[in-house]
Amino acid sequence: MNITMLTEIISSGVAFAIPLLLAAGGESISERAGVLNLSMEGMMLTGAFASVLGSVSTGSAVAGAITGVLAGLLFGLGQAALSVRFRADQIVVGIAANALALGLTTFGARILLGDGKGQNVPAFADIRIPVLSELPVIGPALFGQTLLGYLCVAAIVALAVVFSSHTMAGIRIDAVGEDATSAGWTGLAVNRTRVLGVLIASGAGGLAGAQLALSEVRSFSENMTAGMGYLAVVAVIAGRWTISGILWAALFFGVARAMQFALPALGVDIPYAVLVMLPYLIALIAISGFVGGRKAPSCLTVPYVGRV
Amino acid sequence: MMPRLHARHPLVVALAAMVIAALVGFALAAAAGAGPADVIDALIEGTLGSPFAIGTSLNNAALLMLVAAGFTIAYRAGLVNVGGEGQLCLGGIAATAVGVSMPDGVPMPIGVLTTLTAAALAGAGWAAIAAWLRVKRGTSEIITTLLLNFVGLALVVLMVQEPSLLRQPVTSSETLPQSEPLATSAHLPLLGLAKNPATIAIVLAVILVAAVGIMLRHSAAGLRLSAVGLSGGAAARLGVQVDRTAFLGLTTAGAFSGLAGGCLVTTAPFILADGFSSGFGFAGLVVGLLARGSMTAVAAVSLLFGFLVSGGINLQLAAGVPSSTITVVQSVLIILIAGAAWWTTSAAPSAQKVSV
Repeated sequence: MNITMLTEIISSGVAFAIPLLLAAGGESISERAGVLNLSMEGMMLTGAFASVLGSVSTGSAVAGAITGVLAGLLFGLGQAALSVRFRADQIVVGIAANALALGLTTFGARILLGDGKGQNVPAFADIRIPVLSELPVIGPALFGQTLLGYLCVAAIVALAVVFSSHTMAGIRIDAVGEDATSAGWTGLAVNRTRVLGVLIASGAGGLAGAQLALSEVRSFSENMTAGMGYLAVVAVIAGRWTISGILWAALFFGVARAMQFALPALGVDIPYAVLVMLPYLIALIAISGFVGGRKAPSCLTVPYVGRV
Repeated sequence: MMPRLHARHPLVVALAAMVIAALVGFALAAAAGAGPADVIDALIEGTLGSPFAIGTSLNNAALLMLVAAGFTIAYRAGLVNVGGEGQLCLGGIAATAVGVSMPDGVPMPIGVLTTLTAAALAGAGWAAIAAWLRVKRGTSEIITTLLLNFVGLALVVLMVQEPSLLRQPVTSSETLPQSEPLATSAHLPLLGLAKNPATIAIVLAVILVAAVGIMLRHSAAGLRLSAVGLSGGAAARLGVQVDRTAFLGLTTAGAFSGLAGGCLVTTAPFILADGFSSGFGFAGLVVGLLARGSMTAVAAVSLLFGFLVSGGINLQLAAGVPSSTITVVQSVLIILIAGAAWWTTSAAPSAQKVSV
């Protein structure tokens, strides 16, 4: 393996990891508050579709990205109403919401983005930071992103800092996810906190979808997220609901994904299906209690019966 | 006895949800330029218009019934089996492995029986991983079965990509990554209706759904499952082996999904390929949750969904409406019914809480 190839693998691994990490970061906050969004896949797909639609109709990539986030938040409002207010089964709603997003975006793309309008969309250009992007191996990966890419990284850092387990916001989130009844007794607005969690997840998902569509693929195609949202949920599980765990999981998943395409060129004889299943196996071992660490939030997927 | 209908009755809610979902469907079709009459024509044509359409729909419904019946068994013990898709994949792999290596001259009943047994065992084995982790280590079966789905889906890809596993002999660069066709003696017999591809899977599924209904309601095993689901602690004090019951409940669910996978590959075109499961495992889970433990509802919802899928394909062919419309209608229906659970349960309290 030479330096060029290594640089290539790291670059495409990081490119995959950024939207994955952003979605997983948002999802982890919602899960710590007790709401599982299997619909992260749908949130990202909706964000990707809306951002391309916004970008095509306004001619501005920035407006496109904003549309993507807004669409994600709208999706999240629906999810929050069902999961929190109506106490619907979060797994059923999640799976159905993904199908709904897939159906609506596929339908929408046929009607609104037909005749190749979904191609050649106004997108973000790479901004190479002088000197830093010249660094060997990691330079192009970390300092050759688009404006939206840097914004995503900033959003990831902001989420990690504001909702770490040591801030007031983070402690409140953990409290309603670990023991909703007690949290309610102490006067915390359990359901409002959970709605906030879902909205953070869906906003992050929308932004991640926009990043995927406007910074990387630069077009919309049917089912373009192709399981990335599910992988984000898996990254949260593999990372055991901690920031650093999720960071490593997302980076590892990104590199594993890049390796799927690089391995044949390297002449390594590992079937790519093995690399596809690797993230899920790691997550399975991580939560099986064979290694110590944080457990799943006790109230994950358990609705809270109360006014606020 | 006919149950008394009132505004909070699940049937009334389901009917209202269906009406709303249908309206959404008509609105989408109108956006694509097809009037309600065209849509209805195309749907009827696609679901009931030909023996072929009816047969395909029945085959689809059989798979959903199997997965949903298994789901209900585990759900009775308080376990949520999200892993139908993965168990179905493993069932398909096992059935293919047995089916392609079956020597000629094996009588059909024995061939089919062996193949389907292998499928059910493989599905049960896959679910046993999650069941073991749940019982021994207390790991949430929701998360483990979900993860095992993706591993199972990738295993199918591995099986059909590798010539040393189940891939058909590679003769040219155009050889598709799929298995060899299963031996004739492993093919599920058709029901024998004219031009109708319906297999005995639907008969098998209906018998099993009825058996599960009777087992849950009238047998000691059913009572034990309910006891564990309602209160593990109380069940243990009564002498029920809680861990054993939970383990068996989840593995039985896996066996049912595995059997569905077996039925899928022993039906035309008799091959295993990437994506062969077509989301039946996930759809079966949804059917199971919507049916809320009623086996009559499992059968009814499975038939509805089975027919809707084949209707959607014709919708695109005949009326020019993207078939994704059906995906939208189906998911709106599910979301409405799931979202209305709080409304119906305030009239009929039942075990709604899902513990993780």
